[in-house]
Amino acid sequence: MMSKHRAACGSRRQFLERAGLGFGGLAASCLLAADGGSAARSNPFAAKRPPLPAKARSVIFLFMHGGPSHVDTFDPKPALQELDGQPVPESFRSRDFQFTKMDRVPLLGTPRRFGRHGRSGLPVSDLFPRVARHADDLAVIRSCYHDGFTHITGQNWMNTGWAQVGRPSLGSWIVYGLGSESENLPAYVVMLDGGIKSGSPAYGSGFLPAMYQGTVLRSEGPPILNIRRSEPADPQRQRLLMDKLEWFNRQHLARRGEDTDLEARMTAYELAFRMQASAPEVADISSETGATKALYGLDSAVTRPFGKQCLLARRMVERGVRFVQLYSGGGNSGGSPGWDGHNQIDYNHETMAAQVDRPIAGLLQDLKGRGLLEQTLVVWGGDFGRTPFTDGSEGGARNNAGRDHNPYGFSVWMAGGGIRGGKAIGATDEIGLNAVEDRVHVHDLHATILTLLGLDHVRLTYPFQGRQFRLTDVGGHNNLASRLVAG
Amino acid sequence: MPLLATLVALLAASTDGFAATPGDAMGVLMDRCGGCHGQAQIAGLDIRTREGLLRGGSRGPAIIPGNAEASLLYQAVGQEGDLAMPLESDPLPREDVALLKRWIDAGAEWPSDQVAAAADDWWSFEPVKRPDVPPDPTGWSRTPVDRFIARTLHSRELIPVADADRRTLVRRATYDLHGLPPEPADVEAFVRDESPEAFEALVDRLLESKRYGERWGRLWLDVVRYADSGGFETDIYFPDAWRYRDYVIKSFNDDKPFDRFVQEQLAADQIWPDDIELRGSYDVPEEKLRNLDARIGTGMYTIGTVYHEAALNGHQLRYEWLVDSVDVTGEAFLGLTLGCARCHDHKFDPISQREYHRLMAFFAGSEIRRVPAQHKMSELGYYSAYPRQLKVFEYQNAIKALESTVSKRLEDSIAEGFDAETVAAFRVSRAKRTAAQQAKAAVLERALTEAGLRENPGGRVPELPYTQQERDRRRTLVSKLGEAASRANFELPTATVLGSAEVRYPVRMTHRGDWKSAGEDVTAGLPAALGAHAKPRTAGDRRALAEWLTDQRHPLLARVMVNRIWQGHFGRGIVGTPNNFGRQGDRPSHPDLLDWLAAEFVGNGWSVKAMHRQIMLSSAYRMASAADARNLQRDPGNRLLWRMDRRRLDAEGLRDAVLLVAGTLNPKMGGRPVLPPLSEEERLGMWNLDAWPESLNPADHNRRSVYVYAKRQFPYPMFKTFDVPDPAVSCGRRAVTTVAPQALTLLNSDFMLRSAESLAARIADAGDAGAQVGRAWMLALSRPPTPTEREHAAEMLARAGAREFALMLFNLNEFVYID
Repeated sequence: MMSKHRAACGSRRQFLERAGLGFGGLAASCLLAADGGSAARSNPFAAKRPPLPAKARSVIFLFMHGGPSHVDTFDPKPALQELDGQPVPESFRSRDFQFTKMDRVPLLGTPRRFGRHGRSGLPVSDLFPRVARHADDLAVIRSCYHDGFTHITGQNWMNTGWAQVGRPSLGSWIVYGLGSESENLPAYVVMLDGGIKSGSPAYGSGFLPAMYQGTVLRSEGPPILNIRRSEPADPQRQRLLMDKLEWFNRQHLARRGEDTDLEARMTAYELAFRMQASAPEVADISSETGATKALYGLDSAVTRPFGKQCLLARRMVERGVRFVQLYSGGGNSGGSPGWDGHNQIDYNHETMAAQVDRPIAGLLQDLKGRGLLEQTLVVWGGDFGRTPFTDGSEGGARNNAGRDHNPYGFSVWMAGGGIRGGKAIGATDEIGLNAVEDRVHVHDLHATILTLLGLDHVRLTYPFQGRQFRLTDVGGHNNLASRLVAG
Repeated sequence: MPLLATLVALLAASTDGFAATPGDAMGVLMDRCGGCHGQAQIAGLDIRTREGLLRGGSRGPAIIPGNAEASLLYQAVGQEGDLAMPLESDPLPREDVALLKRWIDAGAEWPSDQVAAAADDWWSFEPVKRPDVPPDPTGWSRTPVDRFIARTLHSRELIPVADADRRTLVRRATYDLHGLPPEPADVEAFVRDESPEAFEALVDRLLESKRYGERWGRLWLDVVRYADSGGFETDIYFPDAWRYRDYVIKSFNDDKPFDRFVQEQLAADQIWPDDIELRGSYDVPEEKLRNLDARIGTGMYTIGTVYHEAALNGHQLRYEWLVDSVDVTGEAFLGLTLGCARCHDHKFDPISQREYHRLMAFFAGSEIRRVPAQHKMSELGYYSAYPRQLKVFEYQNAIKALESTVSKRLEDSIAEGFDAETVAAFRVSRAKRTAAQQAKAAVLERALTEAGLRENPGGRVPELPYTQQERDRRRTLVSKLGEAASRANFELPTATVLGSAEVRYPVRMTHRGDWKSAGEDVTAGLPAALGAHAKPRTAGDRRALAEWLTDQRHPLLARVMVNRIWQGHFGRGIVGTPNNFGRQGDRPSHPDLLDWLAAEFVGNGWSVKAMHRQIMLSSAYRMASAADARNLQRDPGNRLLWRMDRRRLDAEGLRDAVLLVAGTLNPKMGGRPVLPPLSEEERLGMWNLDAWPESLNPADHNRRSVYVYAKRQFPYPMFKTFDVPDPAVSCGRRAVTTVAPQALTLLNSDFMLRSAESLAARIADAGDAGAQVGRAWMLALSRPPTPTEREHAAEMLARAGAREFALMLFNLNEFVYID
């Protein structure tokens, strides 16, 4: 028994080392895979038992591209309403924003109404009437912050825990730590709704091996890049190609003796072949009932695009995909603002919220109905929040009624994954500018997510540039996991 | 046994089968324990000698030779018992714990009772000492390189495998030096050449080809984090980056002495100053031109990431540029990751935060500048470019016209959904509408606004219903526009280089690397731990830094570069972490060999080509990649080089090999980056579709990969799939991964299908199926098929057609891996 495991680790060691995984990564993988047996030998994605007790098995991260306003959605600020139109009080004026100087713009109250919802009475604005019905499942973290006040730095912070490009994304770390539960689908899937400003680094593997990067899945058309040819292909010929390829590769291998690299590449072809069947299957929603489709808003042109993403997300976590990230508000024209309401934010947010409210509520309800919500952590957030004063890019005139980016205090909510909802954690100041109570840095958010998945954010490391890197760098001290799961 | 101990034991038993060498154990001890238990002797423990360990500290002996389990040191680093070490730092990696265990169990042998390296004399900071070449009584050795390797192999009772056969060798050498497979005729010529100098002649021939610079230039571009755009949201285009790329390729082809190459990149403008910033058209002496060529080398410092959208704050941009400049200098030339010291004193290497800032100060007097890159630009030539500028407007207008046609159609189709009265009201010009008409028209206006067809508060952009034909036309127009713009000569040709800044801002200490927290001023200066060998003649500018770095006595520059060259031939350096020769990096597997090569390198006038010859003519380089059960057991990772490691082609090598074998490779060199077409699917991941204006000339689609547009926010998808590194920072060694999307790319992408078609056409006239197979095999695999292979392949060719057959060839492990 011992020798068997030793052999597995020995050949894995070579394999991983040549695969660029290095020593630290190897040790972690080997330890994590100690119970993985033979699966671990051939497949670096084999599911690994988390080192700590896990609440959640998968994550669905709903990313509102452009930066949704917290003071208009999940963080009511009565004082801001009273001060509407007044200059920003002196005591707040020490922050940098991309377009705005704080001494030149007036405060801007929200035109939205906040209601108290569920047994918990959690406040949610009327931009999210349907999500509000799930108030008792939501834990709103109102004191999030980082310091990236432009889109790319904001998206990098939220996705990779660092402002600059080059760090692995949250999903990559998770798959590196936990492997995949699916044999036929990528472990980490991203749906973009077009392109996103921060581009592929937002779902890239940074300095982790590229196999941990997110795979882009499209909700319409061929779901995965090159999953099939752009022209009709003859399945018989393709089958023959695969068979012959296998035959020649076996001959090649036999002439050379054991070589884990060559074997791994043959395995990758088998997986690719299975994916050609399973990826279209997961993207094909014809087997879903009309009621389910309606739940996600597939019956309306407004809600259909994001609704389909949400439905596919459920189908994927059902099939063992570990990390799914959905973007609302991407585009291909270089001009779609998404949630980036620099002008007329109310019009912007009303438009955007109308696209996602029903799908997100549908997702929560559907996951719950299928018993998946307990093991699926749903996270809602964006690049950052928005300022409580008007945007300064057009001179800060009151009539543009928009809001600039605000990374210094904003809201993220989580649901499912063992979380007991109906609560708000932390607080911004009276006007919603800075996180002041129970401050939760992005590192803390990430630490929380990793902990809920059973990973130790301090020990999940990878050696790079002479250092053991962590997703949470040297932070993550305000880990909310135990408070989120407590009643 | 506790779980952890069990696992540690398993791992201990499962690692390479190496005995732990005393040197390794000393390394771990000094790295991780030496800070407190070295000179400082905290708790009375001094780990620098075997005596010290046996004597131990206040808790008693640290080690009991032969019994790790009972040794306090092992218990402490294994985090067992009440003493867990190191304090306030990450625990040791499992393999280091295992290594210490093996070393203690084996008797804790210590080479001699010398004191282990003190904190500031780490091996790589010591001067290079040219070691004596050891003898090799076995006769295996061809060159001095082999004698070093043979000695280590011998000491571990490893036996090198036999030479590779000629076909393998020519393939290996051609890929290594050109990044391409050999042409069949060259393979046959080499196989037939029976002269003992055949291989030497081959290497010389390969080194003379211009293909060499394209391959080795690309490797260097990884090291200097080359890209054609600045990254982040704006991802600004660097219009002159390609000149630096061409400069690199040419430098390798010319075998420019490496010290000169370094000097040029760091400080050509200061070492060979001139006033090249000339506008207009007059003659310039040749020397000035040469100096300009050299100065393009400083382009290295103009191609880093630019956080352009933070341009509201020039100070931040400047600070980030200084940081990037120091970091890339450290990794590329010193093989040290200095970045840690931006925020605090380096924890492992002897670089303080102050010293890091002092390095920044070398760059503080400099700025990025565009200078004319052409000495004689006649006025006539300049103004004759005017019609080409008109072309730009022509295409811009054509795109606008197309967009407005499609917008109009969308508008009409929206209007169709309304009653005739509303549409009629809408058609009346706004000023002439009655109130009733205005009310009716407003409804339609709102619908148009929501569709993004009118200026709208959300800034919504319409989704225009292009037909396929219109979409294609728009793409062509965008390509034409891109092409026209690049030919338009809006300005004189320029190069982007470093120059002296008009205003020299002081460099100030920061708190934890935050540019806003300016502390005291810092002057330029060299790190004390590295600076012992030489004092630069000049002070304070990049020139001084360049002189110091390229001083023959510098401990790092030559070692770091020969290690990179070695890695290019063996897949792994003598030091496995080419960008980190510090304490957190790997130790050299063959320290004497590394030093000998470094000394040779300097002795041969820093000739990179001479170093290739030195390495490639060895027996070590010529070994087969064969397995050997006995050796595998003793050294499964092949760290000691008893065979050649099998290597997968890198992204560029793979694409270029496909193009060459398909017969479509366009060998044209240099110039602006080229943009091969993307499939519709590939384009969908882009934030802005217009950011990839496909090259108009189809011949440019098949240029070598080193010339493909390196866009930071959107790397060419095939490259990304095959592990091209993110050029955010220097990359010393690429990861090699094997994943399913690679298979999908090679099986289904448009590029591969086109290439398979070309190969199919190329072999069509070879004769019958058997002959076609033979031709294809020679082109793709550099060998004839065996009779059984020929039979299987011919059968497939008949049943699946030539294209599928060609595609299969491109997917073979034998095509993608080099023995």
